[in-house]
Amino acid sequence: MIKKSKLLSAAVVATAALMASPSHADTMNTPNISAMSIMNGLENPWDMAFTNGGDMFVTEKCKGLSVKTSSGSVHALAGMKGSKGYASTFNDLFCSGQAGMMGVALDPNFNKNRRIYVASTSDKYHGSGCKTNFEKCDGNIIMRMEVSKDMKSVSNRVDIVKDIQYKPFESNHPFGGPGAHNGNRLRFGPEGYLWATTGDRHRGVVPQSPKLLGGNVLRIDTDGKAHPGNKPPRGFDKRMYTYGHRNVQGIDFRPSDGRAFTAEHGPWQNDEITALVNGGNGGWDPRPNVGGRGDCPDKYCGYMPNQKEGMLPAKRAQFMPMSDTRFSDLMPPAWNNNGLSQGTGSAAFLKGSNWGYWEGRMAVGIMGIGFGGTPSGMRIDVVDIAKDGQSIKSVIHMPTGLTKRFRGLRLGPDGALYAAVDEGEIYKITATAK
Amino acid sequence: MKGLFFGILSLWLIISKAALAGDIEAGKARYAQNCGNCHGPGGMGLASYPKIKGKEVPYLVDRLKTYRAGTKVGPNSDLMIMMAQPLSDVEIANLAAYLNAQK
Repeated sequence: MIKKSKLLSAAVVATAALMASPSHADTMNTPNISAMSIMNGLENPWDMAFTNGGDMFVTEKCKGLSVKTSSGSVHALAGMKGSKGYASTFNDLFCSGQAGMMGVALDPNFNKNRRIYVASTSDKYHGSGCKTNFEKCDGNIIMRMEVSKDMKSVSNRVDIVKDIQYKPFESNHPFGGPGAHNGNRLRFGPEGYLWATTGDRHRGVVPQSPKLLGGNVLRIDTDGKAHPGNKPPRGFDKRMYTYGHRNVQGIDFRPSDGRAFTAEHGPWQNDEITALVNGGNGGWDPRPNVGGRGDCPDKYCGYMPNQKEGMLPAKRAQFMPMSDTRFSDLMPPAWNNNGLSQGTGSAAFLKGSNWGYWEGRMAVGIMGIGFGGTPSGMRIDVVDIAKDGQSIKSVIHMPTGLTKRFRGLRLGPDGALYAAVDEGEIYKITATAK
Repeated sequence: MKGLFFGILSLWLIISKAALAGDIEAGKARYAQNCGNCHGPGGMGLASYPKIKGKEVPYLVDRLKTYRAGTKVGPNSDLMIMMAQPLSDVEIANLAAYLNAQK
């Protein structure tokens, strides 16, 4: 009996000691995460940009650009065709399918020059093109505007890029409507140049084309001119920093070294996170009759070999690789989402000690696309990327408690992560490290 | 014999009506399995996926059966054909009832 009591006492002491000692998570300095909706009732919010003072600019894909000031008032600034209540309306800006008003970025000198940059679909520069899906169609643009000091209007619109490719008509593909694959995320890099992502717009020849802007990451100045240090292959458009992408909608710069990383949608396999190399090739080449493929529907092999039903993602990848190793200038991905495509829509590196041991890691928003047996997987991943950018060390799901289509991520000046979701809300995700 | 006939007929009519009317709760559960990923909560419509809440039941039933039969209607037909093919008549009725009830 005495022995039993002693054993029991020992067990109680041991348990108490265990309870008192810091947990594994505590010693790792895992941040506590909380998420709060700060805007709702929006229509397909796509991207955000912040002033240092906490004013938040927001794009809505089919409506336009607004700002929610740090005092909480909301002003509708630049509307698209058919939208109402905006200080300015631009009738050339329209939305169709995946396309519309998308990326937004503030000039690094915004406090002085009030400049804002917005990517949108526009019919202003169609010219003699855009008559079919199989010709040049300049339908995505990047605009520069100036925001008034009272934050209630914009002026002095200048279109600094006018020739990003656009898909004008429906085609025989899944997600085959007009407006497919535009990229259109805008971010300023650490050296003060504007980076713009573009998509392949469901045209087979676009990603590997030397002249057509599509399936690229562009690095340009605030007038739209090429960064003098861009090194695309000889004969390529100098605005290209990289080419050979499918549809890049996430880009950010690693705080430790400034290197650009993208998060890119796969077709029905292989979402990718990639460390960019100046002049590098993403390795996406959906042309028919290359890489061992034959003819494809509407001259685009992106969903082959089987467009109509689910099949093993690895078999798809074998037939139509996201990163084709036949290219000697291939930028291999650091991560391919375990071979699945679930829709990586955006990316933001986590900065600030409030993120604990996640500081410096990349948050990736995943929208959730559950076709052909792929689990939907709506979430934000936190990815620890290896120093050389060629692999990842770990990936975990951020415990936001939210199951949403995460479309746009952006770190705010307060160190919180802001997330735009297709459900019409913007969330503030706060991290508190111990 | 006559009574049995009318009994069976009545039962058939009740079952048919139930199937036609659809079960909103069952439709909600089925919607959550596949449909909400694209069409959003309650069929609100997200991104390039159309709003389908509040549509009339005959329209919804007809569209789902059309897709199930492998017939294209609109640019995302391949996706909808894939999604609709496993659906039974009862599941279609339930989905239509659920979506019709979302206002």
